Amino acid sequence: MKDFQHLIRVVIIFAVALVGFLFVRSLLVPKSFGKLGHYRADSVDEIAALPLHYAGPDACKKCHAQQTADKAKSSHRGISCESCHGALLGHAENPKSDNKPRRPKEAEMRAFCGHCHERTISKPAKYPQVDLKEHNPDAPCNMCHQPHQPK
Amino acid sequence: MDMAIIEMLRGALGKVSGFIYPNELELQWSVLIVLYPYITGLVAGAFVLASLERVFDVKAIKPIYRLSLLVALAFLLVAPLPLNVHLGHPERGIEIFMTPHTSSAMAMFGFVYLWYLMVVLLMEVWLDYRKEIVEWSLSEKFWPKRLFYKVLTLGVTNISPRSLEIDDKLGRILTVVGLPSALLLHGYVGFIFGSIKANPWWSTPLMPVIFIFSAMASGIAGVMLVYMLACWARNVKIDMPCLDTIGKFLLTAIIVAFSLEMLESLQTVYEAEEHFDIISLLVEGKLFVSMILIQIIMGSITPIFLLGTVQLVELPEKARKIFYALAGTLALIGILAMRWNVVIGGQFFSKSFLGFTTYKMELAGREGLLSAIGLGILPLFILAALLYLLPPWEKTKESI
Repeated sequence: MKDFQHLIRVVIIFAVALVGFLFVRSLLVPKSFGKLGHYRADSVDEIAALPLHYAGPDACKKCHAQQTADKAKSSHRGISCESCHGALLGHAENPKSDNKPRRPKEAEMRAFCGHCHERTISKPAKYPQVDLKEHNPDAPCNMCHQPHQPK
Repeated sequence: MDMAIIEMLRGALGKVSGFIYPNELELQWSVLIVLYPYITGLVAGAFVLASLERVFDVKAIKPIYRLSLLVALAFLLVAPLPLNVHLGHPERGIEIFMTPHTSSAMAMFGFVYLWYLMVVLLMEVWLDYRKEIVEWSLSEKFWPKRLFYKVLTLGVTNISPRSLEIDDKLGRILTVVGLPSALLLHGYVGFIFGSIKANPWWSTPLMPVIFIFSAMASGIAGVMLVYMLACWARNVKIDMPCLDTIGKFLLTAIIVAFSLEMLESLQTVYEAEEHFDIISLLVEGKLFVSMILIQIIMGSITPIFLLGTVQLVELPEKARKIFYALAGTLALIGILAMRWNVVIGGQFFSKSFLGFTTYKMELAGREGLLSAIGLGILPLFILAALLYLLPPWEKTKESI
């Protein structure tokens, strides 16, 4: 037995390390981890409790019927109002609130429309796209194209 | 997105050729991911060399048994670092141990790594050195070192023949268990690439096997060079039968690794599936230097020729040493190039099979060249510290 003593100590060290690991693990792993899946279950409620920012497209048409109708007939029909005008839940709940709809300023308009319409080789050929450097370089886009009825 | 980003993207178009998807512009796996399998491979290779003496009783390589274990340990300690540096959040690395998911290869092999480090390698080094550790803990004059040895004895100074016999037996068992662990640890690095279905350059079940054999070649070459350097630095004569035996094993490992790689390439050429055009363009173009010249001609065929010559022609000792040193160095460079070709090469071409992107390595950034060099030589400093604390030479002298 004496000749095994050093090995017994190794086993004790490993056992202590294992217990230590399990203890540290119990401290580090959040309590609700694994309840619903391989994640912290409490995070679902925490995320659900985060403040909302977007009102959704249905909220806009209550007041902006004309713009909604125009857009519905245009090639921008699939794009949500808030994609261009920003998150507007505050505005939808109270139009007088500080949450004002965003409208791209003239100076930034070319870059703004260019997000989607700048020519790149990876877009389908039929997709409306222009070379921003060559296509009327000094003019804001809405001088010719109306965003709610683009042509 | 403002005009600056649009301008940047326009500039980036110059970097690519043909058609690529936007998310393929930048390579996600950098030079550090080249380093990761390389270092892990050196560990596995060095351990296999050690096991040759312990399990398969190849007496000739006894002088490098302990050295190979220490090389394996030094590199194993550094192996996860490139990954941590690459991910940028080293403090999160522990999470794969805390909440591992069975579907994550990385998490599961984290445990293989832990097992290999703690149970196999550290235990084996400790068991093998225990007699000396006890002796040093009594005789060492420099007190911090003496304290270090005292701690390592775990308070047991019994080195009776019976206890040493038990150590030896247990060490042998550990090596037998350790061998598959070492292969599994390195095989997994290949497994991670081999299991990426979307990438035909990686997705082959042969990948783990190829990685294992090239790992053996790199580990054996690495230990051989460290041994030669150590003998030179200590002004000790190199044990030629030992070096010749290592040379033979190195030759075998390189031949097997190279043949497997070529078989895999042949299969790709013969099958000529839809990705074949892009891959042949890749090999003839962007990877020509690093694959055809460095990996195949310089890193595989030349070492085979050099080591083969030693086997076939009777050369004087000095010439053999030069041949071994040259072959070992070339093999190490070639295998690093192989890792590069797999990791970086596999990200060069688009999943559309219609275009290429490029990789421009940073110099000083977190994933830059300097960072890679630093991580690459860090194991050598650790090895130097290990050699200082646990000199493997004592036993060597007896055995010569």
